[in-house]
Amino acid sequence: MKIEIKLFASLSVGRFKSEIREFPSGARVEEVVESLGLAEGDVGIVLINGKHSNHKDALSDGDVLSLLPLMEGG
Amino acid sequence: MRTLADGLTAEPGSVLYNRCTIDLADLSVSFEEVPCRNVEDVLGGFGRSFQLLAKRNIQDAYVPDNPLIVNTGVLTGSNVMTAMRTYFSGYSPLKKSDKGLPAAMWAASSGKFGAKLKWTGLDEIIFEGRSATPVYAVVSHEEGVPSIAFKPADDLAGLTTHEKIMALHELYPDGHFAAIGPAGENYQNVTMGAIALSTENQLKSKEDKCRFAGRGGLGNLMGYKNLFAIVVCGKDRIPAMTPEIRDVNRDLIKGETSKKFSPIEKGGGGGTWALYDGLGAFGAVPEYNFRPRGEGDTEKLSRESVEKKLNTKAEGCYRCGVRCHSNIFEREADGSTGEFLAKFDFEPLNLLGTNIGIHDGWQAAKLVQICDNMGMDAISLGTTISYILDYNSRHPEAPILGGVSFGDYEKIHALIEKTGREACPEIGQGVKRISQQLGETSYAMHVKGLELPAYLPETNPGYAFAIAGGHMSMFTHMNIYRDGKTDLDYWVNAITNVGLYQVGMDMIGVCKFVGIFVNHDIMVRGINGANGLCLTAEEITAAVRRSYLRGLALELRQGYTDDEYSLPSQIFEYDNENVNLPKFITPEFFAALKERVWQVFKPEMEGLLN
Repeated sequence: MKIEIKLFASLSVGRFKSEIREFPSGARVEEVVESLGLAEGDVGIVLINGKHSNHKDALSDGDVLSLLPLMEGG
Repeated sequence: MRTLADGLTAEPGSVLYNRCTIDLADLSVSFEEVPCRNVEDVLGGFGRSFQLLAKRNIQDAYVPDNPLIVNTGVLTGSNVMTAMRTYFSGYSPLKKSDKGLPAAMWAASSGKFGAKLKWTGLDEIIFEGRSATPVYAVVSHEEGVPSIAFKPADDLAGLTTHEKIMALHELYPDGHFAAIGPAGENYQNVTMGAIALSTENQLKSKEDKCRFAGRGGLGNLMGYKNLFAIVVCGKDRIPAMTPEIRDVNRDLIKGETSKKFSPIEKGGGGGTWALYDGLGAFGAVPEYNFRPRGEGDTEKLSRESVEKKLNTKAEGCYRCGVRCHSNIFEREADGSTGEFLAKFDFEPLNLLGTNIGIHDGWQAAKLVQICDNMGMDAISLGTTISYILDYNSRHPEAPILGGVSFGDYEKIHALIEKTGREACPEIGQGVKRISQQLGETSYAMHVKGLELPAYLPETNPGYAFAIAGGHMSMFTHMNIYRDGKTDLDYWVNAITNVGLYQVGMDMIGVCKFVGIFVNHDIMVRGINGANGLCLTAEEITAAVRRSYLRGLALELRQGYTDDEYSLPSQIFEYDNENVNLPKFITPEFFAALKERVWQVFKPEMEGLLN
């Protein structure tokens, strides 16, 4: 299945901002994260099609997966 | 600060701190060693100063009885990383209830001033009264025994914050400095004056890299007192490093907690500037007075865009490994680094950039710079300007301030300087006042008279329960982004059981950018290890909670009514489709939230002002 991956802030450094990649049907967010060379702790916010999700959630063909780092203001 | 106990102690009465009281009316000075009454006295910062303020009946910020309290935290000057903080407290000229009474307020800053102050042997200075003529105070010490002198400050009048500090540096080469700018001196027209604190980087580079205690206009209280600067000098007295504190620092720098503020090239998040990308993912970067347009303008001030034209450098405070400063410099024709412009934090960059229609990095940097040089709080200034620009866009037939409009860099720059140096009370006295005068309050972005930081009000009902800076005294401003939760139980818990504890970092002398709360095991080890204490996390937690609730009780005593615990009413009237977050703060939700929060807080507030 095709997943559009969007990476934000520091997660995009040395990677990409947006890319469509192939994953096996039923792949979970954690598998995408691992495929990007990221640890689970590097990712603070997971959005699937704009909705808050978590690392165990399964993806569907055509989903847009957005990954953001931990962020704080100040 | 010292303890009377032979060994470790958890008894506040056995801990004594050193206070100096100065009456500026006659320049008399007294020193005393004060036993702590409770754990919040031990921890320091606003936890201690608000107990002093609670004893004063202050009806107007500009009266001699309104003290300016300069104090430190239990860790300031210790070897714990980031332990540099200084706190300034008093009744605010800016934050006032609808009854016109000033609210108790504190502002915090890094810079080396706090550590130097602690090393003079003093934990606290209370400036009473008002000097008849401009003065500056010089605090020095001989092996930790402090002394105070006063000097005429006429030669400092009108100088910018940076110019004052560099002039004093010439006279006191081993000193560090707290100084107001022209806006602080101009207290009749300005109520958002900041206090600038010198940094090692500033004194060495001669570049205007101050840090600021900005919120609440305490720089104007200092100006009212005719106190233009405070100098702390004398030999640095860095304590011996102990194994316990070495471990604390290791845990702080190696843990995940501070990583989000560290430089990108070190694998960190790149400071708060990263929020341009992060909030941008939700379309929630404030634009055009907190109304994102979704037209891609926010990307123009992202790090990636700015670095195409300007040079950036990650720098840090004295002895801090986080290195959160994203400093911006001119780029010379050969690509080398030129003149220093400003430090880009999310708040000033957004509020003096994107949110006022400025999308050029150099222009935004120059606006941050002139704000800093004048000595004003960038949040209050930017949020007040964005209101005026919004007003003018709604009233093209009768604009104010010469018809200044979104994106008009030249006019905005000139107005900021005029606000600081001359008379532009429309801006200088804050957004609550001007919006009430103009009769259009729904889009004035303040809560309880204090301007909002750069997070949309429709994302954070916790703003209503912040007792000082909206995002620095109620830790709920990132919740909707992080968790996406919109139910009442979640938000009641977020405010009453989590968010309020953020204020603990404004007690102990450590920067919030270590990324943990005061009751975290690392901080508890630091507090105890650096001071011979054996406080528990539970005791510290209880003291922070009491301190927060004392602040809330002080607000009520100063006349705040339930109606003032509110959000800008625009959020109930207008649904911004460009923001990709749930719209959950309805009038009904907010009313129910307030009722449940007060049910928790009010019983606990009883007796806290006695």
